[in-house]
Amino acid sequence: MRSFRLERQLDLDPRRAALYRVAGALCALVLGALVLVVTGRNPAWILWQALDAIFGRQRGIEGVVLRAIPILMTALAVALSLRMRIWNIGSDGQFLAGAFAAVGVGINLDAPGWVMLLAMAAAGTLAGAVWILIPALARAYWGVNEIITTLLLNFVAVQLCAWAALGFWRDEGAWAIQSTEAIKDTLPKIPGTESLTIALLFPLVIAGALWWVFRSTRAGYEIDMIGGNPKAAAFAGINVPRRVVAVMLVTGAIAGLGGMIHLAGSPGAQQLNSGFSAQYGLSGFIVAAIAGGSFLGLVVGGFLIAGMFFSGLVLQTRGLSVYIILALYGIILIGVAVGEMAARYRLVRAESEVAARRST
Amino acid sequence: MTEGSAGPALEARGISKSFGGISALDGVDFDLIQGEVHALLGENGAGKTTLSNVLAGLYRADAGEVLVDGSPREFRTPSQAIAAGIGMVHQHFRLVEPMTVAENLHLGWEDTPKVCTRRALAARARRFMDEIGLQVDPTAYIWQLSVGEQQRVEILRVLARGARILILDEPTAVLTAQETTELFDVLRRLVNGGRSVVFISHKLKEVLDVSDRITVLRRGVKELTRPTEGATIPELALLMTGESDEINVTHRKVDGKIALEISKVTARNDRDLIALREVDLSVREGEILGIAGVSGNGQTELAEVLAGMRMTDHGSVHVAGQDLTNAPARVVIDHGVGHIPEDRIGMGMVLSASVEDNAVLRHYRREDFSTGFGLDRGAVTAFAERLVNVGRVQTRSLDATVGELSGGNQQRLIAHREAAVADRVMIASQPTRGLDVLAAQEVQSTLLDLRDGGCAILLISDDLDEILLMSDRVAVMYEGKVVGVFDSADADRDKIGILMGGHQDADSLR
Amino acid sequence: MIFGMVDNALLSLVKVAIPASTVVVLCALGVMLAERVGVLNLGQEGLIGIGAVYAVIAATDWGVGSPWISMLVGMVAAATAGAIFAVVVVVFRANQILTGLALAIGGIGLSNQLGVNRNGTPIRTLFAEINPGGRFTSNAFLETFFFHDPIVYIAYILLPAAFWFLLFRTRHGMNMKAVGENPASADAAGVNVTWARIGYSVAGASLAGAGGAYMVLTFTPMWAPDIARGRGWIALAVVIFGAWRPFRVVAGALLYGAMISLGMTAQARNWNLPFLGPRDLSFFLSMIPYLVTIVAILIPAGAARFGRRVRSTSAPGGLAVPYSREER
Repeated sequence: MRSFRLERQLDLDPRRAALYRVAGALCALVLGALVLVVTGRNPAWILWQALDAIFGRQRGIEGVVLRAIPILMTALAVALSLRMRIWNIGSDGQFLAGAFAAVGVGINLDAPGWVMLLAMAAAGTLAGAVWILIPALARAYWGVNEIITTLLLNFVAVQLCAWAALGFWRDEGAWAIQSTEAIKDTLPKIPGTESLTIALLFPLVIAGALWWVFRSTRAGYEIDMIGGNPKAAAFAGINVPRRVVAVMLVTGAIAGLGGMIHLAGSPGAQQLNSGFSAQYGLSGFIVAAIAGGSFLGLVVGGFLIAGMFFSGLVLQTRGLSVYIILALYGIILIGVAVGEMAARYRLVRAESEVAARRST
Repeated sequence: MTEGSAGPALEARGISKSFGGISALDGVDFDLIQGEVHALLGENGAGKTTLSNVLAGLYRADAGEVLVDGSPREFRTPSQAIAAGIGMVHQHFRLVEPMTVAENLHLGWEDTPKVCTRRALAARARRFMDEIGLQVDPTAYIWQLSVGEQQRVEILRVLARGARILILDEPTAVLTAQETTELFDVLRRLVNGGRSVVFISHKLKEVLDVSDRITVLRRGVKELTRPTEGATIPELALLMTGESDEINVTHRKVDGKIALEISKVTARNDRDLIALREVDLSVREGEILGIAGVSGNGQTELAEVLAGMRMTDHGSVHVAGQDLTNAPARVVIDHGVGHIPEDRIGMGMVLSASVEDNAVLRHYRREDFSTGFGLDRGAVTAFAERLVNVGRVQTRSLDATVGELSGGNQQRLIAHREAAVADRVMIASQPTRGLDVLAAQEVQSTLLDLRDGGCAILLISDDLDEILLMSDRVAVMYEGKVVGVFDSADADRDKIGILMGGHQDADSLR
Repeated sequence: MIFGMVDNALLSLVKVAIPASTVVVLCALGVMLAERVGVLNLGQEGLIGIGAVYAVIAATDWGVGSPWISMLVGMVAAATAGAIFAVVVVVFRANQILTGLALAIGGIGLSNQLGVNRNGTPIRTLFAEINPGGRFTSNAFLETFFFHDPIVYIAYILLPAAFWFLLFRTRHGMNMKAVGENPASADAAGVNVTWARIGYSVAGASLAGAGGAYMVLTFTPMWAPDIARGRGWIALAVVIFGAWRPFRVVAGALLYGAMISLGMTAQARNWNLPFLGPRDLSFFLSMIPYLVTIVAILIPAGAARFGRRVRSTSAPGGLAVPYSREER
């Protein structure tokens, strides 16, 4: 009987898994393109327009980088918690909480510029951590699924910011959009660029720091062990609940800091209004899902997704609706999920092994 | 032996099966005559479970065929095998714990009425149990039952589906001596009623007691089929293991300092029932104290308490004079207590992590590997390399995940790792369970080396032969209590067996 | 007099709450079915959106006259999406969490995209409220409960009763519960785990679609982007709160609706508390449902820690774990 069989492998080579994830995402994109064709759109034209939007115009690359910053921050947050097999779907909420706290400090405190920036950063980081505190405790000590708890807090954060924008921090002078007052202090610009600030440094430094943590520190090792098998980690003497809470708080803090640097580092974003957080958490999540455990992959993927995101925004003016991006995101995620699973299987010829053994 | 009808009730010809590239069965023939108890004998990993899973429709063979009453059948699902009259009782029960006995009996069964209440199902169950002569409380939830009772539910389930052929996979592994005798009675009754039984085991003595014919498997290949009458233990053992090497162990009476002292420890299990009752034990440096007893009498909980994974209600644990009662796992490790856990996969390793990572899992905090916040990966790699060499762990590379390794190699890794952790005390819980002979011997040697180096070893095993082989002293546990302690010279197999079964002495059995 | 006033306020609260939470009830019942066999589908938001947009398409583009048919169209669309999800997750055994999130995101994107030109177009063919007439109109209490459209009664009474009967009084239900608790045991007993999981996933998805369709066919008779507005996630939480039992799930959904209704009433009647003016209060109240839902999930978990382990409130044992027979 000559046939091929799919055999489930017992281990999962991380490099192979990454390859399959990316392949899955790409296949999904191709599928998405096919769907676009079927519904009467021209994917090649769209792709061309997208590339033109990024590379063909003056501020294209800067636009991508600007979007990449918050996406990378939330992606880092999610990726860190994913190392422990914890799903932080609430990075959007933590991001907003960070921005909220930063605005609060920014418009109510008066101090020299750099002090303000430090204060806002501290506030943002702290707020992000606070926003994930309850889900973290519930998950670590009571085993409550973090997906729903972190996610519900997203909605609370949105309402909180809307309340601030329309209520207690309302900018009385603004007539077009309802928003909070603007903060006055922004991050210093990177010389030579039109709109980039040192905000760009934050995700890169944090990515590097996390890479180092997982390579050369005890904490990184412990996090990986908890993610692999919490019971074995406990057996190894690791205080699992305490670690889980600690790491989740850092996760929230990163996302919160992301909110602050977006507030203070993106031109035009110095106030909270309905246009503030355009689903960066979502994009960040997708980046983290594709990247798996690799921080380098995360940075690269972050810029790619930011490119997709940015061109989607630009193409809105040319008739493409933003929702297609969402639909594409969905397809990509499925592709990644299927790819991840496909990596576990290997095509094996059914006959040869039995024959080989008989001859020995 | 009962004379059957024309052909065998069940026959397998040339069965081969492999998993993930590793061959589990290679061209195995097997036949079952109606009305007999046919034992399938072999070491752990010989392929017995795989063969029976093929017969029961759970696995599809890569090659070969299965014949029921002479006609070839292909079972694509378990229900097809069930329909053909083959019922398997697995080693790991396929019961749904949060449901009742009656519900489990009626699961996936066409005869179950489409509309039913729990009470109606219980009544039906009772009627059936009366017919067969096996009783269990039909309204009890599975998690409330003892292991022996759960097994009875499994057997009833299989009989209810009209099984004429029963396959029992290591049924006595979790039974007390009393329950084993009861099981054998049930099997005899069933066989006299015209059914046939395949009895899978690695326990030679039981096989000789209960079977009519014996088939020996070794490493996926059939060695022999013969009538039970006239077979001897040494002959079968030789066939099973292929070699008659045995380690030589000299036992001694040890006088040294007490390294591990357990006083009046009382603790509960996961279901909040008392699992350990006022346990008193002590182990001296350079001594092996073996804990004999059927699994489920508190040994697991005892090991967990000693590892810092379970709290005690009262009592104390001292290691080298230091009070470690209810100390967290980290402190226990720091005091030089090694632990080979019973649950190798669930607790002992991180399957998705590399060999290197697992090699230092328990003592990565030590100075050799950690300074401040950092982890010296170079030192970790060096240690892992040494461990893999000394421990003869066969692995593709240090980066390979532990999940790739065979059970024997995983246990070699764990055993040597724990040996590095165990400065003073080693707790070895079922260390050779499921291992092939070579790996088992290596693990035992490792423990003996530790002992000779002055370590105090607490060996927990449900394999009485292993206990008697390795221990300088033997303690017997039954229902959470220590019911007897012997020096190895006085350790009498029968006496211990009686205590393991919960009886005080031989006379009370009559 | 005062008693009458309070009474009225409470009743009107309930009256508004009932249809407001029907979407959640339908979706949550669907989630419950799927989770009972061990499938966790996080894509409810997407499914609601798909169900809603296709109901709109049916009612406006295709000119379907009957709301029942429009709803059916929505259900079929959502069921199709659910079927794709089920195949990916059960047959290919992909990660259920990732795939569910993909469905949520993709579904929202897809439905918003399809609805892009239909924003605000009113739908005329709606579910009519039942009017029992006569004696029923005079009594405020009865008015609260008896004047709803037929879907309400289906969702709140018929379906939970049917599911309760199915799960707890039939052989089929028992087999399904076993699939959720221990798929290996169910498989060994001869229950087809694959078809059970796919079937119930699709059924659950179609209920979510029904929820979405209901929304556009009654109180919000038009399309709007992001029409689910978080109700899919609430449904997931409500099932946990309801311990996977039909009537408790409905109660949880009703609680959620009551909070929404409270918020709406507060806004409409310009209530205020000492520190919070009417606008502030409405924002505060808009956060309450989510916060209360979180607390509602924490309660059973906390109780389990402090009391005996109560088996009937824990999740199906095999939830979100892909099952494969040949696992060694």
